[in-house]
Parts: sequence; C-alpha cells; structure tokens
Amino acid sequence: MGIDVNIRVTGGAGQGVHTAGGLLYRLAVAAGHHFHATQDYMSRIRGGRNSYSVRIREIPVRAGRPQADIELSLDPGQLPRILPSVSPAGIVVCDLPAGEAGSADPRVIAAPLRELAVAAGSPILGNMAGTGIVARVLGIPAEMVDRVLALEFKGDFLEKNRKAARLGAEWAEGRVPEAYRLPEAAFHPRVILAGNEALALGALAGGCKFAAGYPMTPGSSILLGLSVDGPSLGLVFEQAEDEIAALNMAIGASYAGARAMVVTSGGGFALMVEALSLSGMIEAPVVVALAMRPGPATGMPTRTGQEDLAFALSAGHGEFPRLVLSPGSVEEAYALAHHAMEMSEAHQVPCILLTDQYLADTVVDADPGDFPALSVNRRIVNGNDVPKDAKGRYLRYAFTADGVSPMAVPGEPGITVVVDSDEHTEDGHLTEDHAVRIAMVEKRTRKGEALETETLPPLLAGPPDAEVLLIGFGSTKGVIAEAREILSAEGVSAAAIHLRQVAPFPARAVSEILGRYRTALTVENNRTGQLARLIRAETGREVSGTIARFDGLPFTPEEVAERVKERR
Amino acid sequence: MSGILDTDVEKAWCPGCGNFPILDAVKKALERTGKAKHEIVLVSGIGQAAKLPHYVDVNVFNGLHGRALPAALGIRMANPSLTVVVTSGDGDIYGEGGNHLVHNIRRNPDIAVFVHDNQVYGLTKGQPSPTSDPGWSGSLQRSGVIAGPFPPLAAAIALGCGFVARSLAADVEFTADLMARAIAHKGFALVDILQPCVTFNKKNTYQWYGKMVYKLPADYDAADRVRAFELSLEWEERIPIGVLYRREDRPCFEELHPGVGDPPLYGRSTPAEAVRDLLRKRLITLP
Repeated sequence: MGIDVNIRVTGGAGQGVHTAGGLLYRLAVAAGHHFHATQDYMSRIRGGRNSYSVRIREIPVRAGRPQADIELSLDPGQLPRILPSVSPAGIVVCDLPAGEAGSADPRVIAAPLRELAVAAGSPILGNMAGTGIVARVLGIPAEMVDRVLALEFKGDFLEKNRKAARLGAEWAEGRVPEAYRLPEAAFHPRVILAGNEALALGALAGGCKFAAGYPMTPGSSILLGLSVDGPSLGLVFEQAEDEIAALNMAIGASYAGARAMVVTSGGGFALMVEALSLSGMIEAPVVVALAMRPGPATGMPTRTGQEDLAFALSAGHGEFPRLVLSPGSVEEAYALAHHAMEMSEAHQVPCILLTDQYLADTVVDADPGDFPALSVNRRIVNGNDVPKDAKGRYLRYAFTADGVSPMAVPGEPGITVVVDSDEHTEDGHLTEDHAVRIAMVEKRTRKGEALETETLPPLLAGPPDAEVLLIGFGSTKGVIAEAREILSAEGVSAAAIHLRQVAPFPARAVSEILGRYRTALTVENNRTGQLARLIRAETGREVSGTIARFDGLPFTPEEVAERVKERR
Repeated sequence: MSGILDTDVEKAWCPGCGNFPILDAVKKALERTGKAKHEIVLVSGIGQAAKLPHYVDVNVFNGLHGRALPAALGIRMANPSLTVVVTSGDGDIYGEGGNHLVHNIRRNPDIAVFVHDNQVYGLTKGQPSPTSDPGWSGSLQRSGVIAGPFPPLAAAIALGCGFVARSLAADVEFTADLMARAIAHKGFALVDILQPCVTFNKKNTYQWYGKMVYKLPADYDAADRVRAFELSLEWEERIPIGVLYRREDRPCFEELHPGVGDPPLYGRSTPAEAVRDLLRKRLITLP
C-alpha cells in the first residue's frame, strides 16, 4: 500500500492552523505525493479547538483517517484531548518551552515553537516553526520548503516564514523519528481545490453570470469563489438582505436572461422555498447550491450532515419538476455545477446542488485534465424563433411536445415577456380557467418527464457477486470507495453505488442493481435513513439497513468497513 | 380610456376601485418616457394592486407577495438598459416586503416604486394593512388596530431615498406627472399613492382624501430634508401631496456596482480561456 501518513495540526482559531495545514499539503504535492485535507472547526472567530488534517499517500486520497500519525499541537492545553486519537506509533510535536516535558506520554516531543518563532522575528510564526519540524519528519528538504513558501508569501514576511521553518527543521535534526520520511516521487502538476471552490468554478464554467446570497456556513465559500473569480467571466454578485431576496433576485436576473444561482445552507434554504416554487411556476431557470450542515434550526453550524435530502426533494408548495444533483468529489462538484447550469436552462427548471460541509471544506489535489473548459449552450430565442399568437403576442408558455417553451428575454424588440406566479395562459397572463390550468400542469409535468430521460445513472463499482452493496449520495463517495478496499483486503467483497443525481431519481437503474445483491446498506450522515426511504419510495425495494452517522462529523473508511462487517 | 398600452386582459377590480385611475396614470407616465414597450418592465407582487401590470402592454414580472423589489433589482442588475417600475400594494411593499424596501433604498437602484396605499388588505377581504390608522377595525382586528402606522415617506426620507412623493389616486394627471418624474429620477424613487378602497375602507374614502389633501406650493424646497421629514409626518389635520423630498447627488447602485452594465448579462460569453485561467491559478507548479 505504500505510505499513508495522517498529519493533524491543532490549535485555537487565529493560531495559523489553516495556514500550516495548507503549507503541508502543498509540500506533499511538491514532493510528488497526494493528499486529502479536512478541517474541523468551531463556530467562533478566535480561540476554541480547531484542527486541520492532511493525509498523504502515494496514490490520490479521497477520505480521511481518524488517527493522526503526526500531530502538530500549537496549544499544549489541548494535549489530553488530542492524545487518544494519535496512533500508537505516532508523534506529537507540541509547543512547550525548552526544558519542559509537558507530558509523560513518550509520543510527545516538546518543541519550543514560540521561542523559535521569536528567533525568526515574530511570536506569531509558531505554526511555521512547527511546520518546519513536520517537514523534517517527512524528510522534505529545506530548499523545497523555501520554494513552496514563495507560493504563499512575499517580501519580508516570506523571509520571516522561511526563517521560522528553517529554525524548526534545524531544531528537529536528531530529535524526531525517521519512520515517516516520504519516499522519492516524481512531481506532476496538480490542481489543488476545495469542494466549494470546485463547485463555484463549475458554475462559472457553466456560464453563471449572476449570483446572490446571504452568508451562511458552509455555503459561504461558494459565494466567495463566485464573487472573487466571477467578475473575470462577467458575473455580477450581490449580497442580499436575506435569503428570500437572494432567490427572488436570481429569478429576476434569470427572467432577464442571465444564468443565475444562489448559495445557502439549510436554514437559508428554508427561507428560499417560496421562491423555489416561483421558479417552478414561471419556469425561470435557476441553480441553488445547498451546502448541508446538521440541524434542526441552527444545529451545528460548522459541522457536516446529510439531513436535508428529503427537504431538497420536496421543498416548495405545489407540484413542479426539479433537478437535484449530489456531487461526491471535487471533480463532480465542478462537472455537476456546470451540468446544473446547462440542464436548468435546457428544461427551464430549478436545480439544487446538494453538498455538505465535509465536501465543501475538503481539499485535495486533482488531475488538471479533469477540469476542462466545457461548452455553454444558451437557449434564449429571438427574432423568428419567438413563438407568437395570431395577434403577434409572445407566448412565453407556448404548449410544446416536451413542455419546454422557447424562452425570449425582455428587451427583444416587437414583443413583451409576461410571467406570472399565478396560473397563467400561454401568453403569461393570470387565469382561473380550469381547462388552461390542466393544460399548464400537464405542460410542466412533461418537462419533468423529459428531464427524467437525461437522468445521470448511478455509478456502480465493485464485483457483481459482492457480498454487500453500499449505497450513498454526495460526499460519502470517496469514503465508501476506500471502505470497499479495506473490506476487500479483509476478505469481504463489497460493491457500491454512488448517486450523483437524486431527482429525478434513477429508479430503474437502482432497482435493477439492488436486485443483484443480497445485502444492501445505505451510508448516510443522518439519523433516519432518508436515502433508504427514498429508494423504497422510488423503487418499491427495501434495503437491508442503514449505516448512519449524525454526530456532525464525516464518515471514515475504517468506520464504514467495521460497521459493514457488523451488519452483513 | 384606450391607448397603445392597453391589453385585452379582463380587469379584476371592484367598480369604482382606486386602482383604475392609478392604471390610467401608469399608462400615461410610461407613454411619456418615450420608451418602446419592450424596453419597460412592470414588476409587482401579489394583491389587487399587483394585478395592474397585466393591464399594461409592456414586459411583466408578476412575482410573489412582498418580493417585487428583489426581482426588480435582479432584472436591473442583469440588464440596466431596461426601465424597471414596481407597482404594487401597501401590504406588499410595506408589510411582507418591508425588509426589501429598507435595503433597496440603501442600495439606490434606478427603480421607480408606486405603492397603491389603500390602508387595507382588499384581496383577502378587509384586514388592516401596515398603514391603517390606529383604531380602524378590520376583519381580523374587530376591536381596532393597536399598532401604529408605518410612515412610508418618513422612513424613505430617513433612509436617504432620493425621490419621495405622495399622490392622490383620483387625480390622474397629478399622479401621472409624479410617476413620470419618479421614472426619470436616477435612483430609487418612491411614490405613495393614497387610494380609496370602495369595498373595505369606509373611512379613507374619495371624499375623505379630497378634504384632507393639499398640494405642496410651487415654491416648496424639496431639497430641505428636515422640512420634508416634518411634512411626511403630517396626517391628522391635513396631508401634503407632491414631491416631498428630492436629492440628485447620490449615484445609483448600477453606476457603483463594478460588474453591472453593458453588455447585459445574457449577452456575456464564457470564454474557455478565462475558465482555464481560473484553474491555472490553482495549479501547483514549482517555482
């Protein structure tokens, strides 16, 4: 299996935990290796307990591990809480003044990080002195650290950081074990992306030109990506006064011809629900990125969960078709955000991109080839393609075979575009005519049927005669994949389905696959088995059970493998 | 009255409704803009007032109750060459959509907002609105309204709105003139229109308003914010109509927003090279 080193940096908010983690994964990539980084942080600005885990392997990594092999502790007060999750052969580099033992635990290496930082020019550089020590543990040469630091910092601050890292590495000489040295590997250019960053880029690649939102963890970094990177592609962004405004603004922009999206989490999405229904009624394409966190209500703002699956599927009064996509990796976040933009406009339906804090904040290295520039196919009609009645009026809701009416935008000479949240006639004016009502309901239903024909099939992996089938959606993809490897190494053959799309649900494919396996378990970050219920509703088939986790933390492969063995 | 902006949609208002003269005024004001039908968007929420856009042959966005303003802002941001006018009721703009009123006055987009202020919820059959007089008894407040009225003009002046006016629905010419000036004003413009509800409001009738209102004198200085604020609170004895406050020096949202402008969003492309550049920023190549 080669190397598998899990490094964890812990400290309070404001101590540079994130910066140290980011430097360590860049070093791993520079050394020709791969990483998976996740953060566990508290809902506060300073202090508290934050950790950043960077798992390094020789192959691409798509899941974390609970036990740290190398712990960099910037806050000695946290030692008692940290030690139980350090592997038996691991080490803990802990910021303790010279001469202080700090702990009777032989894994603890007392390192004078603060003193080294002061020697480098600033007490705030303790994280960098510690990073220098960890780099030495990994066998990464000081010149490499210098080069990678230059990617992050400039000028005087760069030199101070370099000095702190160098002092750390020098201090570490002869004081740290050699067991965690990374083997030599050839460097390959890789892109480094977090899930939310990839999702924002995918939306931009999909032609998104308007974004609005009210900040809410863990969705905010998508807004950040759109507002920082969007302008170079002509996107306009506005921070809304509330989530209700955000989605109504996006729908207004969509009516005026822009590809538009909003970003939120569960509580904000709850406020958007009426407008989601508006999008369904006036057939305005729009994309909603819904980054889940544990609820109900405020729940655990900075932790992960998959509790809003049923909510996303049913949100909005009345009946209207929708697309709900559930990316499971940075590559899928990019591709599906683009897909959402395309499909939402092609079928004139709202699309929800269902992600969660785990995928949102997970950073990995990826193959640049997996992030191609994709085509943007606009469907706005003008001139002779605009459907009109005998009086020359534009029929925004013209009846068509697939239910999709050609969409023109206001500003098109010779026509007016009329949309109404009331039930309406083909020309968009409100009506209480029951025959028209039936025809419009049928038209919207046909759009859903057409949408269904383009459903993304579930991704099936593993042997056809496996003992157990694992089923997940969204962020569990990488964890389940590695759990299968662990099970296989232990003689338990497992297959898995990853659902990239949950509405319209790929019922036939899932039903057919379920029929082939004796034991099928859903793996879900919620208590009630929402995916299992969805499968029952959509296929009439009962799964054997659910592996549920709802403490606010993501699954790990070991945990899933262990629980599969208990259940099979 | 019939004109080029008429539609053949049947009007759903009561005979004698104050919405009829407001409709006439809206059409006159829109004709005076010199804009073609396709360059104008009428945006509304839900209610009897909010049906007005259906009776005018321009682009129409008849959205959700209370949410006309955010939709209007989205339209302006996507295509600032469109003339965007919101026309909706007092419950819509001052009640359900109050938060959007506050924050859009702060933003100052170039949107004219006409509020059909009849101090009552008509379509839901006679409940008090945010501007109902205290003591007025509606179908859900039998013993009279307890809450104090929302003062739209005072609130708008306090928030820095650059065009704050009040009109009387019955006076079509006067209303049309204020509306045309509101549309011409660059920035957020509020016209509160005193509108009798012949079915549910037996207090604030055509006769009552006729007795109470007075037009601001020709030499009134609309630039005087403190005086405007004072006048905006006049109600018990008499009610001023006209442009109470006007301020021209504040740039509008669309001018200040770095991305809004030409071309409109639907005309902007997504060059593959620009997408590749964003990915290149995330590429680790060793220096």
